[in-house]
Amino acid sequence: MERGLDVDDFAPRLSFFFNAHLDFFEEIAKYRAARRIWATQLREKYGAKNPRSWLMRFHTQTAGVSLTAQQPEVNLIRTAIEALAAVLGGTQSLHTNSFDEALALPTENAVRLALRTQQVIAHEVGAVNTIDPLGGSYYVEHLTAELERQAYEYFERIEKLGGVVPAIEENFFQREIAEASYRYQSEVEAKQRIIVGVNRYQLDEEEPIEILRIDPALEPQQIERVQAVRARRDSAAVEQALAELKRVAEGDANLMEPIMDASRLYVTMGEMCDALRDVWGTWRETPVF
Amino acid sequence: MAGPIRVVVAKPGLDGHDRGAKIIARALRDAGMEVIYTGLHQTPEQIVETAIQEDADAVGISILSGAHMTLVPRILALLRENGAEDVLVVVGGTIPADDADELRKQGVADVFGPGATTTEIVDFLKGAVPA
Repeated sequence: MERGLDVDDFAPRLSFFFNAHLDFFEEIAKYRAARRIWATQLREKYGAKNPRSWLMRFHTQTAGVSLTAQQPEVNLIRTAIEALAAVLGGTQSLHTNSFDEALALPTENAVRLALRTQQVIAHEVGAVNTIDPLGGSYYVEHLTAELERQAYEYFERIEKLGGVVPAIEENFFQREIAEASYRYQSEVEAKQRIIVGVNRYQLDEEEPIEILRIDPALEPQQIERVQAVRARRDSAAVEQALAELKRVAEGDANLMEPIMDASRLYVTMGEMCDALRDVWGTWRETPVF
Repeated sequence: MAGPIRVVVAKPGLDGHDRGAKIIARALRDAGMEVIYTGLHQTPEQIVETAIQEDADAVGISILSGAHMTLVPRILALLRENGAEDVLVVVGGTIPADDADELRKQGVADVFGPGATTTEIVDFLKGAVPA
């Protein structure tokens, strides 16, 4: 909007990325609260007139942190419940984690089961028959209102810090996340939070499951492929595209065009990032824990 | 050697999953150790340099990217090359059991996977670092 665009020119294209954790009703309420906040803010604060601008489109990924290395098949159940919460909360797209991801990168079988989980939700259980099926539930409505209220409290705190960027620079978000994850871990260790198979219902002996092994030969193969692409491209044009990218990065114009131009010439992402790092340097956070 | 145990908690490579590393860093600090957390995207060279500069008793390496069999041996080799092989190396993250065995053979003091408690890691370090 600072560049003179009307909010309705781009707001319908915006989308968000959410995580689906295990607290079923709270998760559903979280998405409902987010959609409500978005619609209200876009209409009232930013003056959007196109109803498509008011729709919060979002992707959801199930929670990696909820996956356990112990009795890993149980992760299928966790992921299914998390995915269902996302669907009931109105997500537009979904990534279900594979059950073996606390052990390694997923096998083909584990990935297929993750996909089948979504397909069962989509086709077998009727979860998609209506939008917002939990609207009107006293509990979900209460949680939605509460989450919305707490979100606005956060917005106020962030505003007081000067906005999102200063808040990042002051480690606000990082500290909040570190605090929450430490609290979660402490609750697990104190058994105030039960994780099936981890701090209750453990097995003395666990059969190891099959996990994916990445063939080390893939690395030299991939290096070879990148080198082959580099050898084939027009190196003068590549140099020029990178110089142009840097030139634009030094100002405040839109970088998308030079990035698209560079991509068409097979400039690698690494080369583009190096060029941008030359101009901007690298952000190093002061770690808080 | 007197004073608290000094631990460098490090995130090598490109993986950005630092939730576990930060939890461990805080648990070790709460247990009275001096903890230096490197932040993300460290090279093995940077980690070894930090360990030496900080005169660390132990380095805790957190990897969830699958690149542990490349990164950890490199860190062990660099510690040896710099005469710092007495620094205890502990690894955490998504490390399959076979790989964990292999890393222990190569000189890693122990490997802690998902589900390990902060208490067992604290106890391990207190036992393994000579007082």
